[in-house]
Amino acid sequence: MTFLLSINFIESDKFYQGEYYYLLLSSLLGALVVSSSRDLLTIFIGIELASTPMFLLSGWKKGDRKSNEGAIKFFLLGVLSASLILYGFSLIYGLTGQLVFADISAYLLANSLGSSPVLLLSAILVISGIGFKISVVPFHSWAPDTYEGAPLPITAYLSVSSKATGFVALIVLLTKVFESSGQSWGVILAIVAGATMTLGNLVALQQTNPVRLLAYSSISQAGFIIAPLAVSGITGNYQDGIFASVTYLIIYAFMNIGAFLSVHLFTNFTKSDNFYEWGGIAKHSPLAGVLTTVFFFSLAGIPPLGGWFAKFVVFRSLLSTGEIIGISLAIVGAINAVIALVYYARISKVIWMDELKNPEEEKSFEFQSPLKVVGALTVLITFVAGIFPGIFSYLGEVSSIFFGN
Amino acid sequence: MELLTNGTGLTAVVFLPLISALILTAIPKSQELLIKGFALVSSIVTFILSALLLPQFDFSNADKLQLGNKISWIKSINANYEIGIDGISLPLLILSTFITVLAIIYSIEHLPEPKSPKGFLALILVLETGMNGTFVALDLILFFVFFEIVLLPMYFMIGIWGDKTVRTVAGFKNQIETRLYASIKFFVFTLFGSAFMLLGFLGLYYRGNRTFSIPELIELGTNGAFTGTFAMLVFAVLFLGFAVKVPMWPLHTWLPDAHTAAPTVGSVLLAAILLKLGSYGFVRIAIPILPEQAKAWAPAIAILSAIGIIYGSLACLAQTDLKRLIAFSSVGHMGFVMLGIASLTPIGINAAMIGMVAHGVITGLLFFLSGSMAHTYHTRDMGRLGGNMKLLPKTGALLGFTAMASLGLPGLAGFWGEFMALLGAFNPLDGLNVTVFRGSMVAGAIGTVLTAGYLLWMLQRVNLGEPSDEWKEMELHDADGYELAAWIPLVILTILIGVFPKLIFGATNDAVVSLLSKAFGG
Repeated sequence: MTFLLSINFIESDKFYQGEYYYLLLSSLLGALVVSSSRDLLTIFIGIELASTPMFLLSGWKKGDRKSNEGAIKFFLLGVLSASLILYGFSLIYGLTGQLVFADISAYLLANSLGSSPVLLLSAILVISGIGFKISVVPFHSWAPDTYEGAPLPITAYLSVSSKATGFVALIVLLTKVFESSGQSWGVILAIVAGATMTLGNLVALQQTNPVRLLAYSSISQAGFIIAPLAVSGITGNYQDGIFASVTYLIIYAFMNIGAFLSVHLFTNFTKSDNFYEWGGIAKHSPLAGVLTTVFFFSLAGIPPLGGWFAKFVVFRSLLSTGEIIGISLAIVGAINAVIALVYYARISKVIWMDELKNPEEEKSFEFQSPLKVVGALTVLITFVAGIFPGIFSYLGEVSSIFFGN
Repeated sequence: MELLTNGTGLTAVVFLPLISALILTAIPKSQELLIKGFALVSSIVTFILSALLLPQFDFSNADKLQLGNKISWIKSINANYEIGIDGISLPLLILSTFITVLAIIYSIEHLPEPKSPKGFLALILVLETGMNGTFVALDLILFFVFFEIVLLPMYFMIGIWGDKTVRTVAGFKNQIETRLYASIKFFVFTLFGSAFMLLGFLGLYYRGNRTFSIPELIELGTNGAFTGTFAMLVFAVLFLGFAVKVPMWPLHTWLPDAHTAAPTVGSVLLAAILLKLGSYGFVRIAIPILPEQAKAWAPAIAILSAIGIIYGSLACLAQTDLKRLIAFSSVGHMGFVMLGIASLTPIGINAAMIGMVAHGVITGLLFFLSGSMAHTYHTRDMGRLGGNMKLLPKTGALLGFTAMASLGLPGLAGFWGEFMALLGAFNPLDGLNVTVFRGSMVAGAIGTVLTAGYLLWMLQRVNLGEPSDEWKEMELHDADGYELAAWIPLVILTILIGVFPKLIFGATNDAVVSLLSKAFGG
């Protein structure tokens, strides 16, 4: 997990304010706290520590109205989600009187409270609270606005690290605390996953702003990430589900950073945030064009790029049990993979195949070297993940063993 | 020689083009000659490598998978890098490396607009890796990866170098360039099929001892490991994945668009090799692993093939666009291939194998010719063409020859596939509904007449007659050296296969017979 998060630093190399780094680091610390916490209080503090700096950072462009709007939305919903999570936690505490995960599940098991309605209510509250953080339907509405308003590196961070934090928290809580009521939250989560994939994709189809497009696409990707978790909740085979979710998350992180990098480059170059006006700019910088193509097709899940393996493990885990819910989710996912291709391919269509707007105009394409490093690193990992996925599935396996016992 | 037999040779045939493509991108744009020379040399070396495999291949054991190996690839899901060839894949592999050489020879002088040899040639080479890989892969996941790798280069080839004519398409508000519409349609259709195919592969994996290895799954499948509704569904999704690629009616609609829009070389590769990936998938994966289900589905496949044959021919009769006509003729010809496969008899599947190779050679040549003519005349409208024989005697003569081959003239390659497919359909595997198959056979026979009809009519409109005034004043260039170098080998191959079909059957027959006897017991 640490490995996954640290990569983001390179991305932020072009902002120089001390506070900026301070806030980013605090958020990172929060993320690390979440992934290593084993009781309710610590995990709550971790979640808040990870997200509070982001409220500030997403409003970093002070003069920009969109940035302010996005930050306010993010803040209000963030606070709401915090209170939901806290309410959920307080119900558990009231029920069991314990804070440490292991004790809670032991208590629940001893008193066979697994199917108690209070526990289910608390699970729903926690899922909704964290659902805001990972922006799944129906708690996704803040994401596109905030993503659009925030400085691009922050958006990348939001869509990757913050999201990863949310997922880790969700995985930890659901499999450690609510282990025994998997049947009920599994179904809820499965519905959420299916809706998230579909809605995110359908809305993404309509977008003209590349950042909003990525925002909706990342909503739909979130659906893919929670789908295996949902099915594993129903069947009780957590190892397999966590393996798929985590592998997807890791691979997704790299290609998504890459995608934001491309968007950043092209928006800076064209000064236009409507990607239909990016016609033919791959001719100005074939390198950036190729990178963009790689990232977007990887997000679409085309082999030999990393994304295919991520999608593959998810399908594999969904089908592993032969449960009807798993199979239906897999079919929904397969259809969505095709829908997603349409808008991912649209970007490369525009940059490669459309005509240049002003062919005479000579502009130098800026591709700063720190960004080149990010590009090279993410593209390398995208390819490695696609051709030798063994390495990444190993990471996923480690975490599934870790969570499994 | 050791290197050739232990799998390294096959691996080289698959990955050499990819590596060359990477090197190609590193050569500066200004060195155009070097770029072209390098691509040509690398494709020739790949072809020679694949030809060197021939003497190593044990033809007396053509039913066994040979020259391959198996290396662990993704341990956590038990997917391996397992490759090998047998009599079924060998001819297709050679065809693929061979056609690529010709495609590159043609591209040296005849690059489509916008000219940028580097990207275009690199894409051809990447495409070759995907095609070769699909034919040698013996692991479902490996197969899937190669099957999909093909999509990207073809998408860009159509999208960047394709036909720029603007037209109105149903469902779109604005007019759209043919290439943009065709490229995304091609991509979405194929991905739709293969996304479901992947689900089918996973189904096999979970019911079949958690292995993706094709030989192991065949072993399991022939011992009746896959039964019931589950297996029927798996066959249905595999069918969907492969049938889109073939393409079978009614999933064919991407094909005429893609072919018409693609640059000449793109249509050649698409017709000659890419379509074969689908029918090859049926023979390699769907039928041997799920024999009982194949038997249950066979009548449906036969009916769809028969519709495809008739529909393709009728659509051809209605075309005014030369390239679109040839594209629809592919639907008809692949219908014969699928009819042969559906009969599930040695004769039918052998027919399918030779039909695939022959269609690759003949239709490939037809696309070369039509592409070249479209380039010379700047139109593909058959109403405006005419008197081609007088204007471009060399191209015209070749067009006449190829059209004859395509309509199945005995003595040329096209004959065997059609004739034997009909023969196979006359006497399908025991237990299949004879009425359905004989009905399909009759439909197929009517199809051959229609095929002859539209091809001869095409010749009459394009080749014969007096050239219209439009062309009289114009300076028209007949085929040049590069074009002839790309075309003549295909002509020779057409005649060779037509006269000695044993060239193909020698390799395929044992493999086909053993495949069927394993699947259906004797």
